[in-house]
Amino acid sequence: METIRTKIEISGVATPPDARAREAVFEARGVSVFYGDQRAIDDVDIDIYRRLITAIIGPSGCGKSTFIRTLNRMTDLVPSARLTGELRYRGIDLYGPKVDPVEVRRRIGMVFQKPNPFPKSIYDNVAYGLRILGLKKDLDGRVEKALRAAALWDEVKDRLRDSALGLSGGQQQRLCIARAIAVEPEVILLDEPASALDPIATSAIEDLMHELKRDYTLVIVTHNMQQAARVADMTAFFGLDVSPDGSRQGVLVEYDETEKIFTNPSDKRTEGYVTGRFG
Amino acid sequence: MRDLYTSELEELEGILREEGKLVDRAIRGALNVLARDDLELADELIAFDDEIDSRYLTIEQRIPSLLARQTPVAGELRLVLAILYINLHLERVADYCVTVAKLAKLAHGLPRDAGVLEALEEMGERCREMLDTGLEYFYARDFTDSQALIDMDRPIDRANRKLIDRLIALGPDEPQREWAMRMMLVSRCLERVGDHAVDIGEQAAYLVRGRFEEFTDASHKTNIK
Repeated sequence: METIRTKIEISGVATPPDARAREAVFEARGVSVFYGDQRAIDDVDIDIYRRLITAIIGPSGCGKSTFIRTLNRMTDLVPSARLTGELRYRGIDLYGPKVDPVEVRRRIGMVFQKPNPFPKSIYDNVAYGLRILGLKKDLDGRVEKALRAAALWDEVKDRLRDSALGLSGGQQQRLCIARAIAVEPEVILLDEPASALDPIATSAIEDLMHELKRDYTLVIVTHNMQQAARVADMTAFFGLDVSPDGSRQGVLVEYDETEKIFTNPSDKRTEGYVTGRFG
Repeated sequence: MRDLYTSELEELEGILREEGKLVDRAIRGALNVLARDDLELADELIAFDDEIDSRYLTIEQRIPSLLARQTPVAGELRLVLAILYINLHLERVADYCVTVAKLAKLAHGLPRDAGVLEALEEMGERCREMLDTGLEYFYARDFTDSQALIDMDRPIDRANRKLIDRLIALGPDEPQREWAMRMMLVSRCLERVGDHAVDIGEQAAYLVRGRFEEFTDASHKTNIK
């Protein structure tokens, strides 16, 4: 009997992340974001879990990018932006008066849609953040570690002093990931990290994400639903609500294990979006 | 693209419906072969399996292509999987009908027993009803409970048991014993048809509810000895 049970567990595919073992890193409660008077996202409640990949999907304009930017206070950089509700990171109010946004962004890194290396050498791109933070001890070692973690080391180890701009798009994106992880963040936010890449480079980024979740919590915004299905443990679907006055705002429609979202979503709007019937 | 995809799904379901109707004709045909001891009809029925196989193969070949090109998800994924499995079940049922026809040929000319034939006819008709019910759940996407199918399956299992008792009672005459052995296999085929009908109902339930559940657990069946 015991042997049979073990066998079943080993052969079990697509085991959903054990709900009991989850630990919420972010807890959003009633989060709304406004740009001036315009409400971009409305009343979002969500827990984002440690060392899992969470994908945010939804149609254009539903507030996916706005939402992910609230997670490391990048929305602060937009003068008209305002957040209401409560957003806790490891139990601390992320928007509390004593919280330093720069420290937030060190702990919660971000990778953007278009690879944006600095016009410097490969080495300096990764070392940049470390130098700013004064982490100058064993700089070479830290740079190598970050490049290895970003699965780029073997490709660039012999040309670290070359310009980063000479790398391919996929390599540049992995360099940006190396730059993000060099400062040893806890969370990596990725906003459409592979949408400008070809399928091979995309696959490399997806493999990398899978590797990185051993040490980091990842949140990815993607338009590519198959990508969400492939890489994410949890998937949040954002949709658009139209108010009686015609204004539109993003709302969190459904949030569940990725397998559930793509085989048996609970909400008709999710079903419509993931099957491509609308949105 | 979306319209093309939808019409492809509808077309596949249309082929499955055709296949379902053909399989029902095959079961009816098998029952007639038995009742009339009709060799000619038996050969016709064996040849008729090609009709069913061609539908089966069409679906079997088109689904990988659909999966590769359209990557269905959610309800559409469940629909494609349900079509794939139901297709397989229907093809198996058709094969059992062919086996019945072949058994009838082997039993031709041997002494028959009216009581046994009546019981087989009864079993076969229950099988047709079950298959119809299972497929109807699927077509209507209106699956409410599994009890109807399980209830229909029970008389089949009981009839199968009764039949065995009756066959044993037929006595020591050798040709009669040979006929009895053939009919036991026929009974087994029909009983399996009922099981496939339950499986088809389970696929319909999966499509509607989004999770798979077995209606009855074969390893814990208590109603057959």
